[in-house]
Amino acid sequence: MIKVKGLNHSYKKDGKYAVNNVNFEVAEGEIFGFLGPSGAGKSTTQNIMTGLLQLQEGEVTVAGYDVKHIKNEMFNQIGMSFEQSNVYSKMTAKENLDFYRKLFDVETREPQDLLDLVGLGDKGNIRAGEFSKGMKHRLTFARSMINNPTLWFLDEPTTGLDPSIAADIKDIIRRENKKGVTVFLTTHNMYIADELCDRVAFIVDGDIKLIDSPKNLKLQYGEQLVEVEYIKDGDVVKESFSTIKTEDKNQLKDIIDKYEIQTMHTKEATLEEIFIKVTGRGLK
Amino acid sequence: MKLWYSYLKELKLSSKGFYFYMEILMTVIILVLLLFVIPEEMDNKHDEYIMFDMPVQAEEYYVNIIKENDIDGKSEIIEIEIEDKVINVELYVTEESKLHIFDNEEDLIAATEADRPSIGAKITWDKANSNYKYDYYLQGYESEKLRNLYTIIHVKDLEALVAKGDSYEVKVLKTGHERLNTKQNAVPALITFNGSLMGLFIIAAYIFLDKQEGVIKAYAVTASHVWEYLLSKALTLMTVTTITTFIIIVPVMGTQPTYWAMLILLLTSAFFSSAIGLVISSFFDNMTQSFGAIYGVMILFMLPAIEYFIPSWNPLWIKFIPIYYLIQGFKETIMVNGDMTYVMLSSAGFLLMGIIFFLYANHRFKKNLAV
Ligand SMILES: Nc1ncnc2c1ncn2[C@@H]1O[C@H](COP(=O)(O)OP(=O)(O)O)[C@@H](O)[C@H]1O
Ligand SMILES: [Mg+2]
Repeated sequence: MIKVKGLNHSYKKDGKYAVNNVNFEVAEGEIFGFLGPSGAGKSTTQNIMTGLLQLQEGEVTVAGYDVKHIKNEMFNQIGMSFEQSNVYSKMTAKENLDFYRKLFDVETREPQDLLDLVGLGDKGNIRAGEFSKGMKHRLTFARSMINNPTLWFLDEPTTGLDPSIAADIKDIIRRENKKGVTVFLTTHNMYIADELCDRVAFIVDGDIKLIDSPKNLKLQYGEQLVEVEYIKDGDVVKESFSTIKTEDKNQLKDIIDKYEIQTMHTKEATLEEIFIKVTGRGLK
Repeated sequence: MKLWYSYLKELKLSSKGFYFYMEILMTVIILVLLLFVIPEEMDNKHDEYIMFDMPVQAEEYYVNIIKENDIDGKSEIIEIEIEDKVINVELYVTEESKLHIFDNEEDLIAATEADRPSIGAKITWDKANSNYKYDYYLQGYESEKLRNLYTIIHVKDLEALVAKGDSYEVKVLKTGHERLNTKQNAVPALITFNGSLMGLFIIAAYIFLDKQEGVIKAYAVTASHVWEYLLSKALTLMTVTTITTFIIIVPVMGTQPTYWAMLILLLTSAFFSSAIGLVISSFFDNMTQSFGAIYGVMILFMLPAIEYFIPSWNPLWIKFIPIYYLIQGFKETIMVNGDMTYVMLSSAGFLLMGIIFFLYANHRFKKNLAV
């Protein structure tokens, strides 16, 4: 569905690259996640794939179309939800969708069905300008499905939503994917990446550090961890130690001997911890 | 089809926006100006300050001629204040001008200087050549043409003109035209302001609103073209301009204008100014950033309107500003027996330039969608 080879992008063409020699492929039917802290180059990559940014260097094929010579008909197959919601605030939710559906040549979905799906079913006649940030975001998300896309780009689809709505959105993504929709998703939220993605790419400073499935990553990096809370010089200190690495095991023994232990748990490494281990950077 | 839907949506959106009311307000102001403020005929008599320096009989002969032309056949004495000094002058009012007769050259020059658009003249009997000699005092900004005109104005017969030399070329500029009265004469410049200049500003404002809301990006990932988006905006402006202009023209001009030609000129010129607005807005992210550029262009475009109202100021370079042809074109459409070839040529020019600017704007927008 997507092929990206040797992609570079410099906004000011000044030799400073927002995206640096990025290579990856996304297979049909897959949910592919771009996981990285903000400023990593996720949106930049996505904008190049959808023609919002002009391709500078590299080869990009999307849904069978060469992005260098983008054809408008390509967008009949593509849906895109934006990180910053962008709807006409002077039009109602319904009017927004009604207008948008006319811009495609393929069969489109009923606006009311989409509004129902994202929990805005009874808000269709309210001007989008009066919506809360989260509601606008859901409207933008709903709009991206209107042309029944086979390839769906989602830029931070759950960012800023409250947890129950985020869970609904996750369900919708999962359901659409079951119907065969290929999903390209960018996020700095490791839970989303972990729960939804078949494969994730770790991206930092415009570089992809690794691509693998969350499951493999956990097998590979996810040794059991022991999380210890202890009192050192009157302060509570919290640290994690591997149960496999000798160095970690010795440190842990030391702490048990010297300090007063408050709590001690074993747990599985999260994707974020693996991310930190691989890239040396956090997701925030 | 997508263009049509986009156009409908733009119309709907613009009718909900602040700028729509601004357009309406502007239209109403101009209409009120034309209907109630600007008179049919303004007092447009020139002030002329004259001094005779000649034998008494010759002066009497001259004054008699002036008297014959005076509306009531007699003069009145009025007081003029020049540089803290009050002097009495004789005033004759003819169809075209107000003639003030001075006794003293110094006062004549001072009065001419103090009253800007006036001219002063000293008429002397030249004994040696047994001829009248005219010394004109002009303001200095009069055009070359006007100055030349003064040098030949008193050469009454053709033979004398030929005798004066072949260097004078007299061209007939226009014939067969009814004159426009003061009010009608104000119409072309005012509707130019209402249409094209407002249009340029408003289309840019619309684009910036869309940029702020990010909806251009959303449009860009649909199966419709960016040019459809841009053209739907231009069409909206063309519609609004046409409607508001007719709201002004119909009550003021009635059935006199050549409406079909006016419609063509309105549509093409509104397209042209929209395209310029689009080009400008492609360079900036918001209104504040673009203020300088927009006002620069608006002032440039206003110069021909200013020139239009100042008859004695008509520099050649003003003809390089397209709006000049718009004002002249509008004038032709509201005149009886106006020159429709001129209007059609101007329209073709606006269409052509509009297309060039539009294509350039489209090229720029396509390149910068992510902003
Ligand atoms: N329009 C732009 N002009 C210049 N630099 C930009 C622009 N957009 C993003 N950047 C820079 O490019 C880098 C990648 O940004 P982005 O792709 O938005 O990151 P992410 O989506 O991963 O948060 C950042 O350093 C950001 O500051
Ligand atoms: Mg981003």
